[in-house]
Amino acid sequence: MIDDAVVLVVLVPLVAAVVAMLLGLRFSRAGWWLAAAGALTQVAVAAVLAWRVVTGGAISYATGGFDLPFGIELVVDGLSAPLVVLIAVVYAAVVAYSRRVGPHATSFYSLLSLFVGGLTGMAVTGDAFNLYVFLEISGLAAYALVASGDDPDSAVAGFKYLLVGTVGASLYLLGVGFLLIATGTLNMADLAARIAEVGFTSPLVVTAFGLVVVGLAVKIALFPVHTWQPEAYATAPVSVATIVSALMSTVAAYALGRMVLSVFTVDFLAAVPLARTAVLTVAGVSIVAGSVLAVLQTDVRRMLAYSSVSQFGMVVAGFVIATPAAVVGALIHLVGHAIMKGGLFATTGLVATRTDARTIDDYAGLHRRSPVGAAAFAVLALSMVGVPPAVGFVGKWYIVVGAFRAGSWAIAAVLLVSTVLTLAYFASIVERMYFAGADDATPQPTATAESPEQTGAGDPAAAPDGSGTRGPSLAMVAVVVGAAVAAVALGLGASAVQPFVESTLQGVFAG
Amino acid sequence: MSEVPSLLPVVPVLIAALAVPAILALRRRPNLREGATMAAALLMFGVVAVMVRGVLGGDTYTANLGTLATGIEVTFRADALAVLFGLLASGLWIITSLYSVGYMRGLGEHAQTRYFASFAASLSATMGVAFAGNLLTLFVCYELLTVATYPLVTHDETDEARAAGRKYLAYTFAGGVLALAGAVLVFWLTGTTDFAAGGIAGLASDPVAARVAFVLLIVGFGVKAALMPLHSWLPDAMVAPTPVSGLLHAVAVVKSGVFAIARVVLDVFGPDVLSDLGLGLPLAVVAMATVLLASIIALRQDNLKRRLAYSTISQLSYIVLGLALLHPTALIGGLLHVPAHAFMKLTLFFCAGAIHVETHTDDISEMAGIGKRMPLTMAAFAVAAAGMAGMPLLAGFVSKWYLVIGAIDAGQAVFAAGLLLSGVLNVAYFWPVVYQAFFESEDDHDAKPLIENALGGTRDRADGESPASGETDVVPDGGQESDADDADARDDADIAGDEPDPAHVDHVADDHHGGPPTGGWAVSGWRGGESTWFMLGPILAAATGAVALGLVPRAFVFLRIVTEIVGGLPGVTL
Repeated sequence: MIDDAVVLVVLVPLVAAVVAMLLGLRFSRAGWWLAAAGALTQVAVAAVLAWRVVTGGAISYATGGFDLPFGIELVVDGLSAPLVVLIAVVYAAVVAYSRRVGPHATSFYSLLSLFVGGLTGMAVTGDAFNLYVFLEISGLAAYALVASGDDPDSAVAGFKYLLVGTVGASLYLLGVGFLLIATGTLNMADLAARIAEVGFTSPLVVTAFGLVVVGLAVKIALFPVHTWQPEAYATAPVSVATIVSALMSTVAAYALGRMVLSVFTVDFLAAVPLARTAVLTVAGVSIVAGSVLAVLQTDVRRMLAYSSVSQFGMVVAGFVIATPAAVVGALIHLVGHAIMKGGLFATTGLVATRTDARTIDDYAGLHRRSPVGAAAFAVLALSMVGVPPAVGFVGKWYIVVGAFRAGSWAIAAVLLVSTVLTLAYFASIVERMYFAGADDATPQPTATAESPEQTGAGDPAAAPDGSGTRGPSLAMVAVVVGAAVAAVALGLGASAVQPFVESTLQGVFAG
Repeated sequence: MSEVPSLLPVVPVLIAALAVPAILALRRRPNLREGATMAAALLMFGVVAVMVRGVLGGDTYTANLGTLATGIEVTFRADALAVLFGLLASGLWIITSLYSVGYMRGLGEHAQTRYFASFAASLSATMGVAFAGNLLTLFVCYELLTVATYPLVTHDETDEARAAGRKYLAYTFAGGVLALAGAVLVFWLTGTTDFAAGGIAGLASDPVAARVAFVLLIVGFGVKAALMPLHSWLPDAMVAPTPVSGLLHAVAVVKSGVFAIARVVLDVFGPDVLSDLGLGLPLAVVAMATVLLASIIALRQDNLKRRLAYSTISQLSYIVLGLALLHPTALIGGLLHVPAHAFMKLTLFFCAGAIHVETHTDDISEMAGIGKRMPLTMAAFAVAAAGMAGMPLLAGFVSKWYLVIGAIDAGQAVFAAGLLLSGVLNVAYFWPVVYQAFFESEDDHDAKPLIENALGGTRDRADGESPASGETDVVPDGGQESDADDADARDDADIAGDEPDPAHVDHVADDHHGGPPTGGWAVSGWRGGESTWFMLGPILAAATGAVALGLVPRAFVFLRIVTEIVGGLPGVTL
């Protein structure tokens, strides 16, 4: 019975999406309530599922009763259980957050639930093609969510995301197709065995690896296929930016890790050393390039987007180094970064309700205008930089230790230097917020053409960044403060994850 | 030597950490707020004093707080070296807090709550560094120390303060990254980073990796220890209020840098391994170079605080030199210089701050005859300066004695000669200040060619006629003209440490009204009328500490602790 929770955890948000849409035809205010109900149910189901995995080991479920490996298998193990819980918690947080500031249309809540359903499906699936299906579901929902802002630029950003994202997903599909041709199966566990039989150096397999990695890299937004991300994060409504930044690249990176470790396996990486070198090079370049580009930004949300490019380079590096410590670090950094980045975007929304601050210069003296926002931003920024004992440090530490043990000195050096690079772009904001003199403090009121339209629309809270005069709601403050506290608390408690992940990956690393 | 499991080493860290929210909560009641700081400081000192007694009796207190991540056990340990630093920092916090009250209120400074809260946070992190039981716990507290001291450096919120803060962050975080790399290497080589007197076993199994680890650790920690060429954040940090400079230079930050180096030399590698690897001599050479070069640069500084900054850079390398000579007597000298220098430098900084508060004077060229106005202050300054130079009966003499003897015993007499030369240089840059204060007057004082003359000399025509106007200026190739008006040039040069612009130090920016008032300095008596006792008290207390450490070093407990540290190293008989 509890095993059915695996299916439930995917179904609940999908059902919520459909019901919201239907109810919305009749009741215009139903959207938020349905999303809230769905989110709470999701959190409960995810918690039960996680507890079951922690106490009883991995769960495997064959949908529809079809025999494996012909049917679609759903698997929840030590690697995916934290993701499922993370997705549910962020879902609930964003629903609460968006009550005041987010888009209020029913379509928003419906798309949000659809997005979460797709992501959860990606996290629990054990079938490579099923992963593509859920990837597309979440992707389509994300495209629409990004484009739903009032800002005309968000439509352009959404369209760009659509084009680039579809190419990425198609590349992934092509890779899965090659695997099917080579092995005749789509089930991940079965693929692992069959690929070994076919031979790791077979051109089909190596090409499939390349296609899968590139396709997922587009979704993760690694350099140089990240170009959809900055505009999408900068122009989308702030609730959308929060959830997409927290979850989309995160689950895509998890998918990459799953494919590399559970489908291609460590033996493939050992047999085809070029594969690991190539991915590590891309990851290392992404870390450096993302930071450099972030330093050049003046708009805060754009800077956070480029920061993601850099941080996910670290996560991908951790997965591909593929030693137990590195994978634990990648997972910790995945979850930690989701909390930190989502928290940072939520803070920008909080700040925007009190002020019109959009650029780094606007943030000067912020600790007077929005003390909670400034404090949360500073804590989250320092956590991202990697100040111990916050979670940003712990994840990086594990990956560095894994890199040392594997003898990957270059990437270890890049990871260590990334601390200083991350500091470069966060320090200027923190300094501006707290130590700008009184003469720098006056923000420029946005006298753009949008504001008359916004106030004319009669609902100032419907503005894309919520820059109204009502101030933040309690839920917004709670989400922001909760994220900052969680960033430190997770750092202190993250080492508890280590035994579960290692027992999950025992089969992976035994060879 | 018995290991006593006890939470006692964690208590000082917690006391200061709990003081932070208390101070923040009391923002509207300044007297209670300062009372919270004093209470925390006194309580912390009491706890550390209890541990000193235990450690001198042979106990080592250990507290294991669990694992933060793989390989990072959070352990706190109170052994002799920890207690040396802990006692010094907690004792000096009491004095510095009293001084801060006088200083901040005397100048009517802004953001005092943030200041006192950051101070408490810095002390909490410093106690963490002192009592850390392994390299990674030390690293964690080290990074937190950077974060906690940053608001203090940038306190003034002027452009110069922000630039200094940025430089401080960049240098210390970069250093932290290198130190982390070194710590990971040690962990990878030996499987642990716990401190063990005489070194961690198995570290020398791979000599190349061990050398790389040592270099990474020394460079990483050497940023905070202001080893040259990693020192340049320190003079720029003088833009902070004087008690912060005192904290940075004497109590916490640079001392935690040398303390970390001491841990690396004594408890991670151990003197025997280091001499086998041949790493002692390079470090000693770097330290000696720093000692001499910084003293020479100090000769040219007109701003008193900048002069003291370079003096600090020079004196810290006495400690590093003592550690690098790897000989027991030299180790005693180096470690004893930690408290000796702290007391003396704190006195000097407090004097500079008192002068600033009372007369708004920052430049030595304007301090002729100031002994009339501030006799007690300048007397304390004279005592501390004499100690810095190594005059007997003062703290600096005792540590220097051990250092010189240790250098000779180790067979490296050239370092002994260098130390004696450094003593001469110390006199050279401190004596003018003292002399002109008491024996010259504001309208009749000698020129200071070292400060006033341009680098590279002046341009004079060989035939004795005066050069055309505009030709006397010295223009460096590719740089700015030396009398350029634009503030950028001055800023760049200032940050490069070349032309100290007194207007950019300690926020006496636009209304530079230092120097004697018209009519000369007012005469204060010797009974303390020159300033508030909030500042005079700490000045005299620190000076007394310097004298006490010179007269009765063993009874004043520090020499006993140092002897305990060095005696506890395996293979050392004292």
